[in-house]
Amino acid sequence: MVENNLLSLIIFAPLAGAVINWLVGGYLKDKPYSEPFSGLVACGTIAISTIVAFMIAFGIGTSHQGALFGTEPVLDHIWTWVNVGGFRADFALGVDRLSGIYVCFVTFVGLLIHIFATGYMHGDKGFYRFFAYLNLFMFSMLTLILADNFLLMFVGWEGVGLCSYLLIGYYIKKDEARRAAKKAFVMNRIGDWGVLMGIFLVFTMTGSISFYDKAVDGAQVSSALAAFANMPTDAFGWGTIFAGGITSVAVLLFIGATGKSAQIPLFTWLPDAMAGPTPVSALIHAATMVTAGVYMVVRCNAIYQNAPTAMFIVAIIGCATAIFAATIGLAQNDIKKVLAYSTVSQLGYMFLACGVGAFVAAIFHVMTHAFFKALLFLGSGSVIHGMHHEQDMRKMGNLRKYMPITFITMMMGWLAICGIPIWAGFFSKDEILYRTFASRNIPEPWNYVLWIVGLITAVLTAVYMTRMMWMTFFGSERFHLELEHDHRSEPPAVAGGLSSSFDDESHEAHVQPPATADGSDLDDDDEEEHHALPPNFHPHESPWTMTVPLIVLAVLSTIGGLSGIPYAMSSLFGAGDVNIIEHTLDPVIAKVGKKEGGHETPSVKPHAEPASKPHAAIADPNLNDLYASTEAPHLAGETAVHEEHSAEELSTERLLAVLSVLLALSGIAIGIAVFGKNPLLKMPKILEEKWRIDEFYNGYIVDPITNLSREGLWKGFDLGFIDGIVNGIGYFIVEAGRALRGIQVGFVRSYAAIILLGALAVLGYFIYYGLKLVG
Amino acid sequence: MDFISQNLLTILILFPVFGAVATLAHQMFWKQESQLKWVTLGFTIVNFLLSLILVAGRGAQSANGFLYESNTPWIKAINTNFHFGVDGLSLWLVVLTTFIMPISILSTWHAVEKRPTAFYVFLLLLESAMIGVFVSLDLLVFYLFFEASLIPMFFLIGIWGGDNRIYAAVKFFIFTMLGSLLMLVAIISLYYLHLDQTGVGTFDYVTILHSLEVGKLVFAGSTGTLLFLAFALAFAIKVPLFPFHTWLPDAHTEAPTAGSVILAAVLLKMGTYGLMRFNFPLFPDASREWAFVFIILGIIGIIYGALVAMVQPDVKRLVAYSSVAHMGFVIIGMFSFTEWGMQGALYQMLNHGISTGALFLLVGFIYERRHTRQISEFGGLANVMPIYATIFVITAMSSVGLPFLNGFVGEFLIMIGMWKSAILPVSATANWNYISTMLAGTGVIFAAVYLLWMIQRVFFGKVTNEKNRTLSDLSWREIGLIAPLLALMVYMGVYPRPFLDTSEASVKAVQERVMHQAGGTVAKNGPSEK
Repeated sequence: MVENNLLSLIIFAPLAGAVINWLVGGYLKDKPYSEPFSGLVACGTIAISTIVAFMIAFGIGTSHQGALFGTEPVLDHIWTWVNVGGFRADFALGVDRLSGIYVCFVTFVGLLIHIFATGYMHGDKGFYRFFAYLNLFMFSMLTLILADNFLLMFVGWEGVGLCSYLLIGYYIKKDEARRAAKKAFVMNRIGDWGVLMGIFLVFTMTGSISFYDKAVDGAQVSSALAAFANMPTDAFGWGTIFAGGITSVAVLLFIGATGKSAQIPLFTWLPDAMAGPTPVSALIHAATMVTAGVYMVVRCNAIYQNAPTAMFIVAIIGCATAIFAATIGLAQNDIKKVLAYSTVSQLGYMFLACGVGAFVAAIFHVMTHAFFKALLFLGSGSVIHGMHHEQDMRKMGNLRKYMPITFITMMMGWLAICGIPIWAGFFSKDEILYRTFASRNIPEPWNYVLWIVGLITAVLTAVYMTRMMWMTFFGSERFHLELEHDHRSEPPAVAGGLSSSFDDESHEAHVQPPATADGSDLDDDDEEEHHALPPNFHPHESPWTMTVPLIVLAVLSTIGGLSGIPYAMSSLFGAGDVNIIEHTLDPVIAKVGKKEGGHETPSVKPHAEPASKPHAAIADPNLNDLYASTEAPHLAGETAVHEEHSAEELSTERLLAVLSVLLALSGIAIGIAVFGKNPLLKMPKILEEKWRIDEFYNGYIVDPITNLSREGLWKGFDLGFIDGIVNGIGYFIVEAGRALRGIQVGFVRSYAAIILLGALAVLGYFIYYGLKLVG
Repeated sequence: MDFISQNLLTILILFPVFGAVATLAHQMFWKQESQLKWVTLGFTIVNFLLSLILVAGRGAQSANGFLYESNTPWIKAINTNFHFGVDGLSLWLVVLTTFIMPISILSTWHAVEKRPTAFYVFLLLLESAMIGVFVSLDLLVFYLFFEASLIPMFFLIGIWGGDNRIYAAVKFFIFTMLGSLLMLVAIISLYYLHLDQTGVGTFDYVTILHSLEVGKLVFAGSTGTLLFLAFALAFAIKVPLFPFHTWLPDAHTEAPTAGSVILAAVLLKMGTYGLMRFNFPLFPDASREWAFVFIILGIIGIIYGALVAMVQPDVKRLVAYSSVAHMGFVIIGMFSFTEWGMQGALYQMLNHGISTGALFLLVGFIYERRHTRQISEFGGLANVMPIYATIFVITAMSSVGLPFLNGFVGEFLIMIGMWKSAILPVSATANWNYISTMLAGTGVIFAAVYLLWMIQRVFFGKVTNEKNRTLSDLSWREIGLIAPLLALMVYMGVYPRPFLDTSEASVKAVQERVMHQAGGTVAKNGPSEK
């Protein structure tokens, strides 16, 4: 067992930052140096986390091997949280190869976004509060990733939900923001129900909730996941979902994932969450928190691989979400909404990957997506900042002239998400599509159906992203364009979604006044509000604190994908097998039987143990260098995997890659052709209204429940029925008393007196009974 | 010191009575009503400090498994004694009572204008009665304290309550009185049953339990069930269990803040405590037989309470209905008869006391400022009262059951207890223990809905009502009295072990008593089970 107490520093540094910012920052908030103070505390603590994370992941200056190379997780037991009757939940952290990758990109991207936010939030009165929340979020997110058991992961899981709630609702005066905040929390909670029940079932089936084998306080704790890996695989069939076996666990956990990662049917909160400040959208609602569902599924891959039905459901839901969100993304005019739907769509790809058994590809896409989507969101933040908080793309245009750095960096993100070769998104997305096509655990012909839908989604992605880029950066300047109806004056019902009917009877029936009226509010306007642009308005490029993170992310979006070049492509250039991601993550993927899609070596070794099959092929020397620190049989096991590539498979993979590039290019071509000339082209109304899903939920779920509760349960049952009976009895007694009044003059007509009488009667009875016994 | 430790529980009960006498005397001789609160506060704080000796001294048990046991004869003729003692079930409840008292008194600092002497005297007598309930090991004495706690609360609601106070007070009185009279009948029956079968009549819980365990006392036919139901009805009304809950929203809404806090924090716990202390060990067979009814009612309570809470226009009523939901969790945890569920239930009793107590305090703060509790009167309060808003959100999160705040640990243990329970039938197609847990789990979702929706309407947005624009944020007194509760919420969420470890042995004893009686038909749970 490898231990390193530095691990706790990764999570506690941001927590300390949050506390300092909340208490000291709040105290200093009116001082001139309060902003640098809060910014420095927030970024400094995240920088500490980042450094420690990289140290542990790569084994720099630690006494043990880097977590990314080692065979054992690096653990840190902090305290035993709950230990009741054999149920044990430790507050303990662990880094293995999966959480190693996660912790590195989360801290690093998080650091960049923190730096960006110091520029973006400049001048905001709640500066300290914002960074306190942001640090608290990092604490929760890192707890989620580093947790060494299900329950602590759930702590982080709920914690990020809370921070997301606080940060979406950060602009508390905005109606839209507070509705969105509550909606996000509630939808997440629906998912959390699934996670909780899943954890119960995990405990019931394995007697443990730990991810790793470990020894604590002299007691041996065994890994629940390893136990699952050794269980027999469930049969394929809908009945298994309710059988209380592995498939049930997988489905319950996946319910949680649909909430956190915004999949059908719980996806509607994510687009609304864009009401929060843009750095929040980039950090929480694109790069990190929303991928927590993917993390959980990959973490539990031993469970999913033994639950083919659940895998199928995951794939279907992922794929359906991908195309569904992409169609909505086509028709949005708010730059952040486009990106939000694109995030939902990309998350769908990740689940598709999980569902077809390509867990490595899913994590690879999580990572590249974190780079390019954070870049796109921060870019949009830069645009919004430059446009004085205008978010409607119809009022933009030709911004490349005013914001060259933002423009060039965002182009990188655009190329990445569209899937143009060498940019990061190409490798990860193409890997997912190929694995879908070649999947062996999805019954035919469903794998082809999923693959085709995935391809169509790829085209749509290219189209709507191109539309966004062209509306924003090309064409004519439309800064003063008058729209028939400003998007801000939409009725709250549309923006509020889940909450609309809740608010009917409350005071806030008042509709948010149109944008121009905002200034007339009596309150201090310390919030992000869009004021009408002055006639001589010119957008401006953002300060260095914002552009530097953009440039770093642009570089990562461009070259980040090179870490996962599939063998089919690298071999074309004689580079051998250089798929670093695959090699790093492969040991994390449990080997359960032969049904693992693609080219895994069959092996019955439990969780986190590499397949140590000796073999003769000599891998590329570079790879040997890279893995010099790992043991030889271990390396051999990893490279052995790739010897199973048949020439036929390789050529199929190459062919499909060419096809998807062609489709991406055609998507871009369509985008330019359609929106280049006419950026304001009216899109189908049903898409603009997001397929009216919110209205459906409100009309058929929320409203009926609310009305039933108010009219049926409360007024009908509680006040009417139960109290009716009670009052009826009371009335009956009173009437009886009245009837008896002739005999008992001066009877006080109150319940209390009657009770007294009753009590006396009972007492009298007992005295009588007692006397009889004595006598 | 020896005197104190030997008679600690008697002192804890009597000290508030002395306080009440002192308050009266002070009023008679000095006529300084403004000083009364200081006198009362002093007595309750000293009582709290005294109760901490209990915590420090946990570990040294008597032969019966009780701490600080004392047995003073009272009425020789019917063999009833002042038999007091605490164990893992009651220790923290006593401390919770003494802890919540000074806080409630601080909360009344400026609120009581009408007849303050009587108000403080009632509060002190109430404390006495509540402690008596938790430490009595003599059934008759227990009953007397159980009833005695009604009277001060009846007057607190009836005199210092809101507009509809008489109705609420009478309703509260009728409901609880109705149940406890049946319990009295059951207690007296136990006396005679014991007399008939062993030749000695007794009200002593320890003696009766022992007679049952060794088989000297046997319930023939349906006697056990009838006795169980008589006890259970009294406690179910107190909890309150659906459908006996309708007194609660009225009582809570009309009661003065201090009354609501004590009602939520301590009085409701008497019901669940009574079930765990008396019903389970005395009537294990009936407990198991009837468990399904209580679990069903508990689940209905969770969902029903939450749904009705969601549509309340009054903040205090909303919190009151949320109590119904929370206590439903406690009920299903106890009736799961697993160590997890029962430990969780006991822990959740403390959690509910702290979180809901804090919510009622917070509602009281705003009521003192605005003299209304209608949600529609507020909006955007976070702009005017940021500290208040922050504290409210933290407290609400604790009530919602956010991890690392106290509510989560209790709810989680309860649900895992229910999940792993063997009390409900398991067929080939359906495991009703799982299904029950899944239904109860929806309460977790609804809790977020009703509390966050209320927070959204009360705190967020712009200030829409001019009257709210000039509200002052919390004073140092108010922050000071809520701060210990906040600290406990975090502490109990992050490090629950001192509490759980203390109650472990007692809970296990009850659990084994209930499940062992099954004669091997129901498996006992525990770490050994796989």
